[in-house]
Amino acid sequence: MQSYQEEYIANINDVIALSARKKPDGLTFEAYEDQLLQARRSIEHKIKRNMKLLRENLFPKLDHLLEATPEDIQELQEFAGKLLNSRTADAGLFCQIHQALLNRTRLTKDRYGIIRELYWLGIGRFSLYTKVVGLDFSMIEKYISSMRLCFTEAAAYLKYYDDIEDSETRGYILRSRANISLGQFKTTSEKIHLVNQTLQILQDKDYQAKAPELPWDRYIYMTHQQMAASISYNKESPMTPKDIEDIMESVYIVYQRRLMEATLQKKSPPIRPAFNYDTIEYYLGLNNLQELLTKIERLMDSADPTDYSPDNMYTLASLPAFYCQFLQQYPERIPERKEYIASLYERILNYMDSFPETAENETLFHYLKQLSLAFVETESSISYANFVLKLMERFAPETYVHSYIVGKAAAVMSELILSEEPNYFDDIGFLRAIKNPEEKQKQILTYAQNCGLYHDVGKISFLDMYSHTARQWLEEEYEMAHLHTLAGEIFLKTRQSTELYAVAALGHHSWYDGSRGYPDTYKRLNYAERQMVDIICLMDWLENVTGIRRLYTGVEKTFDQAIEGAIALESRRFSPLLTARLRDRKIVSLLRQAFTEGQKEAYGRLYLEKGL
Amino acid sequence: MESNIRKNPNNYLVMEQNPEADGQTTQDEIIELKRQIGVLEDALQAAEETNKAKSRFLSNMSHDIRTPMNAIVGMTSIGLSHIDEKSRVQDCLEKIRTASSHLMSLVNDVLDMSRIDSDRMTLNEEEFSLADLIHDISVIIRPQAAQKNQELQIEIGMIQEENLLGDPLRLRQILVNIIGNAVKYTQANGEIHVTFTQSPLPESNAQLPSSDKVSIANGPMWLHFQCRDNGMGMSQEFLKRIFVPFERVHNAATSTIEGTGLGMSIVKNLVDRMNGKITVESEEGAGSCFQVELPFAIAPQSQNSLLLPQGASVLIADKRSPQAAQMAAYLQDGGLIPIHMESGVKAVTWLTEAQYENRMPCAMLLGQELTDMASLDLASHVRQLAGREFPILLVSEEDWAQVEYRATRAGVSAFVPCPLFKSKLLTTLATLTNHGRNGNSTCADHNQDLSKYRILLVEDIELNQEIAVELLSVTGVQVEVADNGQEAVRKFETSPEGYYNLIFMDIQMPIMNGYEATKQIRQMSRSDAANIWIVAMTANAFVEDIRLAREAGMNEHISKPVDPDRLQEILYRQFTAEVT
Repeated sequence: MQSYQEEYIANINDVIALSARKKPDGLTFEAYEDQLLQARRSIEHKIKRNMKLLRENLFPKLDHLLEATPEDIQELQEFAGKLLNSRTADAGLFCQIHQALLNRTRLTKDRYGIIRELYWLGIGRFSLYTKVVGLDFSMIEKYISSMRLCFTEAAAYLKYYDDIEDSETRGYILRSRANISLGQFKTTSEKIHLVNQTLQILQDKDYQAKAPELPWDRYIYMTHQQMAASISYNKESPMTPKDIEDIMESVYIVYQRRLMEATLQKKSPPIRPAFNYDTIEYYLGLNNLQELLTKIERLMDSADPTDYSPDNMYTLASLPAFYCQFLQQYPERIPERKEYIASLYERILNYMDSFPETAENETLFHYLKQLSLAFVETESSISYANFVLKLMERFAPETYVHSYIVGKAAAVMSELILSEEPNYFDDIGFLRAIKNPEEKQKQILTYAQNCGLYHDVGKISFLDMYSHTARQWLEEEYEMAHLHTLAGEIFLKTRQSTELYAVAALGHHSWYDGSRGYPDTYKRLNYAERQMVDIICLMDWLENVTGIRRLYTGVEKTFDQAIEGAIALESRRFSPLLTARLRDRKIVSLLRQAFTEGQKEAYGRLYLEKGL
Repeated sequence: MESNIRKNPNNYLVMEQNPEADGQTTQDEIIELKRQIGVLEDALQAAEETNKAKSRFLSNMSHDIRTPMNAIVGMTSIGLSHIDEKSRVQDCLEKIRTASSHLMSLVNDVLDMSRIDSDRMTLNEEEFSLADLIHDISVIIRPQAAQKNQELQIEIGMIQEENLLGDPLRLRQILVNIIGNAVKYTQANGEIHVTFTQSPLPESNAQLPSSDKVSIANGPMWLHFQCRDNGMGMSQEFLKRIFVPFERVHNAATSTIEGTGLGMSIVKNLVDRMNGKITVESEEGAGSCFQVELPFAIAPQSQNSLLLPQGASVLIADKRSPQAAQMAAYLQDGGLIPIHMESGVKAVTWLTEAQYENRMPCAMLLGQELTDMASLDLASHVRQLAGREFPILLVSEEDWAQVEYRATRAGVSAFVPCPLFKSKLLTTLATLTNHGRNGNSTCADHNQDLSKYRILLVEDIELNQEIAVELLSVTGVQVEVADNGQEAVRKFETSPEGYYNLIFMDIQMPIMNGYEATKQIRQMSRSDAANIWIVAMTANAFVEDIRLAREAGMNEHISKPVDPDRLQEILYRQFTAEVT
């Protein structure tokens, strides 16, 4: 690797470490705040440096890719390979490099090169789109399809397996064939059918005989793992008896193999295959739901809260997500389990708090994200509102700080408006219904603060893009980041403790006149909460262009420039009722103060680790 | 015997006999008198009915006019009281527009009725395309049905003659009225099924309209139209009055549905005037079925026979649907071999194999829906896989104006509207496969001659210059090269106005970069400086780079190494748009 490539990757690692939550560790608040601000400055410096490195070294190379020597190409491939390392995972740049390489191979009609680059581009896209897992299929179909078609095209060369002379390319074809079934499908059966076909191909002795040097056993086992993981808990897309039959064999094979490995290594039986085993027995009718839930509870209870190994982490953090999925499907089972659910959540949050800062953090976060999607809210347990807040503090402290500032500034602006127009928010039914003026004002300010606090909750789905990207976003990433509005709405609207704030998550990137902004589904005039969403839109923008997020989008302003910019966008992006107030120096001064104080308070809450 | 007539105390006419009058005369007089009384009674009844109709008309009209007028007056007041709140005012204006358009249609209906009553309505005779007319109707009606989440199927059956002679405006009025009513009176999630077929009009029965209405010069044809819905239906009692002006179904379900009750009356009158037939079957709560049959003369043939690559295969990518079957049938009629794939995965697999075996199809028809992905996602990949020349036709019910940007960016070469007509499909295919040409405006024609256009390519690397010039020259376009931004500015400045039609601008260049060069070009005081399309070419794909390019005045951005398809897509899009 060239030195700029090494420096680039080192900077990614530094940014990830700097973005992680810092524990006070005996520091005074002032020292703690200093540490956080210092980290912020370092992140800023490293991101700018990485941009420079890419602009001066990588991009000119991609510009002149047709002149590149085989050594240049190999070096680019190696660099890209390092980018997809599980810790750094700069999938966006990885895709950028391989897309350029694919264009080159298509132009030069290098068929083996096309197959190889299609495979790697597919892998890159898979890594990129893992971020959006859990969102509605319709929202992310585009991304899944572009990944799947890369693998499909490469896999189509299977028909010419005999004509292809080198094993490496044959390996790419076979792996592409297996990878077609990665990601979500419209129906579970579709996925299972594809995995089944792959298994048949991989087990075909003719194929194996023609390339004996390939790791067939590994290919087949991984495909069985993929099949075993295809168990669907989705009521809308239930498995057919044929699906269950297809999965069953793979589940047994994976279970037996993991059990054997554990026995040889003198370890406890593995949990993940055991869970799949129990689940498939349930689908076969050998267990009823009550028995399955009890078995999962036993597995979860067996976990050691001080053990941070992958298997234990799976048991403590991922199994609860599956458990909650079953409860979501069968809510009649919830009342008798309220206390258990409450203690389960408590256990998980304690585990999260005590989890060391290691690479495994990513996996833990992935599991907890799944739990947040399946979260079952009861009156006995921690509310969903507090649960997601804790996730934000723990894994995305900068997003938490941003959200806190937006909430604080929104409350200040709301108070100023109420002093002039007490009925300003009366379109919002639950606020209009409050008769006592003091109580009403109090509720409005709390509502403003919370709309701010939760408006960016959808970023949980794209965490590594917001806090682990050590450069500006690429166009596709920017487009993907737009989905955080829809994701946020989905997270919030289905739980009682957060449903009121869903509209702020949905609409905070819309434009006042509807001419631009996103998402399309937010139609301002259809929402009674629009006046509050307008305020969140403005405060979010002001914080974004002056805060750390400007590094990812490249729009960078001082606070005064931001105020001028907002006024310039009056009646287009921002409500004239709000921008009119930005012409008042006193109000601007109060807002500036809210932004400064908000940041300090947010850091204070992180220091005290108390969240709300 | 004579008789006298006088009124009795109840105001009835009574006849009193004159005993001196002659018997026969008296009998005749009585008959005459009775007849006169009958005439008078009929006249009285007609006058009373006219009066009632007038009153009902006035009552209906005053209600129907008052309703939208109330909205207009009310919304104007609300808008004025929130004049500083743009979106509120916009909302009011939208509502005023809706009410005004309803008012306008009401006035138009009344005027039509008045023309019909006074026999002043004449039918035009002009050549029209049934395909275009049905597509236009589909574009009007589909959004209304979509709003109610209704399934609106428009099926084209056996249509032998697409170009007809008649009054397309009035035909459209008939069809929009009937289908529009079906949408209005069918509940959300309901189903509406519309079919069009044709049959020759037997000469013996060729009771065509009089010569001032429809010509029979080119042989007559019946157009059969049926609209069936599973909506609220009508009572048998109401069915008898359906064509009477101002009659509407009145119940709780219809009270919120706008309408004057004139539409069906106008339809009936128009159908009668066209010498057609209209029948209605309906059952309350179950739905209605309207059937219209209209005779039309066939327009003289004007188009040349199509030159299609006979025997070539065409890939249809569409989930199994009547539309896919129809595409296949039309292709076969055109001497082509349809290959049908229901999913994107299968389509890409088949195309990759076809490419490997040198048996690529001559085009791909992309339907609206695939079993596994969105159609445009498949188009994007196929465009890269199959190269720039490969024709991809989107066959869709959507309005082309709505999908054009997304579709062309995804690599779609042309659009064929649905409901699908054979002529549209085969003509577009013939154009794209270079075997024929008829100037379809919705076709990004990659065979168009671009030799009259001149491009300025600004690029500092010689090899990149060579490659780009070669890629661009394939299209026939004239290419001039500048080695850096400064040279580009100079070349543009010293050229006559309108000399260059498009600029491809590299960003990182010695002496002057692409941003600066673009800014300087945009600041020039010549008329083409502001409008010339400038495309940034760079591997710098950060969102900031895209924003900077836009801020510098560039219109769009392509990444390097340049994808030839993308390059040419821009070229054809820009110049085809200009031609269109």
